[in-house]
Amino acid sequence: MNNWFLNNVWIKIVSLILAIITWFYVNEELIKEKQMTKQLYKSSVISQIRNPSYDKKPVK
Amino acid sequence: MNDNISLAKILIEIGILWFVYYGILIFARGTRGVYVLRGITLITLFFIITKQLGFERINWILTKIFALSVLAFLIIFQQEIRRGLANIGQRRWSRFFLKESEIIKEITTACFLLSKRKIGALIAIERETRLENYIESGIDIDAKVNSELLMTIFMPNTPLHDGGIVIAGERIAASGCLFPLTQNPKVSTMLGTRHRAALGLSEETDAIVVIVSEETGGVSVAIGGRLTHDLDRESLERVLSNLYRPDKKDRK
Repeated sequence: MNNWFLNNVWIKIVSLILAIITWFYVNEELIKEKQMTKQLYKSSVISQIRNPSYDKKPVK
Repeated sequence: MNDNISLAKILIEIGILWFVYYGILIFARGTRGVYVLRGITLITLFFIITKQLGFERINWILTKIFALSVLAFLIIFQQEIRRGLANIGQRRWSRFFLKESEIIKEITTACFLLSKRKIGALIAIERETRLENYIESGIDIDAKVNSELLMTIFMPNTPLHDGGIVIAGERIAASGCLFPLTQNPKVSTMLGTRHRAALGLSEETDAIVVIVSEETGGVSVAIGGRLTHDLDRESLERVLSNLYRPDKKDRK
C-alpha cells in the first residue's frame, strides 16, 4: 500500500493539480451558464408581462 | 449535512478527474505522445490564463485551435487510442488469470536452455516505466510468453535474433528491439554489445534485463545500471519473482 503512494509520485501530483484546475474551471463555466439561463428566463418573463399580446394568436 | 454531501461530491468529482489524468499520463509515459501531451497541457493552461485575464481575441484564436486540435489529437494518438481501448477490454480481465510464476518459469527455462547451447539472448522485462520507444524500434510480436518461442526468436541466422526482446505485462511485445548502449566509462571494456545494451536500458528505465552470453553461456541480470553476472537458475528465479510483478503494473 505504502509502495502504491510512493510509485509515480510526480505523475500523481501533476494529475491532482490538473484535476483541481479542471474542476474549478468547469465549475465556473457552469455557474456562468446557469446565470445566463436565469437572465434569459427573467428577460423573457418580463417581456411577456410588458407585452401580454405577444404570445396570443392574431384575431381574425 | 448538505455541506458534507456537497463536499463529498466535489471530492469524488476531483477524484474521478485525477484518475482520468493519471491514467492518461501513465499511458503516455514512455511513448512519443508524451511530448504532444505536454504541448496540449501548456496550451490548455495558456487558454485558462488568457480567459481569466480577459484577453478575448487571444482566447478566440485558441478556441478555434482547440476545435482543430481535436481532429489532430485523434490522428496523432490513433495507435495509442486503439491500443488503450484494447487494453481496457482485455488486460483488466486477464489480470485475474495471470500466472506470474509461470511466466518467470518460462523465461528462466528459455535462458538456461539458451545458455547450455551458448546462444546469446537479451530480454528486457518492463516494469513501471513503459518501454514503448524500444518496442517501436523492433518487430511486433504480441504473443504469450513461452520458452519455445523465446528460444526460437534467439536462434542464430534467423531474422528476429538480432537485438533484444521486450516482455510487457504477460506478453512478448516485440523482438529485434534496439536498446541504448551504456555510456558509463567505468563499465569494463571486456563487456560485449549485448551487456552494454542491457546496462544502457537498465540505466534509463526500471526494466529488468536478462542477458545470456554468447561466449560463456553465463546468465546475467542488469537492474538500475548494475550487472549481476553468472546467475544460476534459482537465483534468476528469485530475482525475477522479487522484481517482476505483471499484475501490479499499471499498463493502460
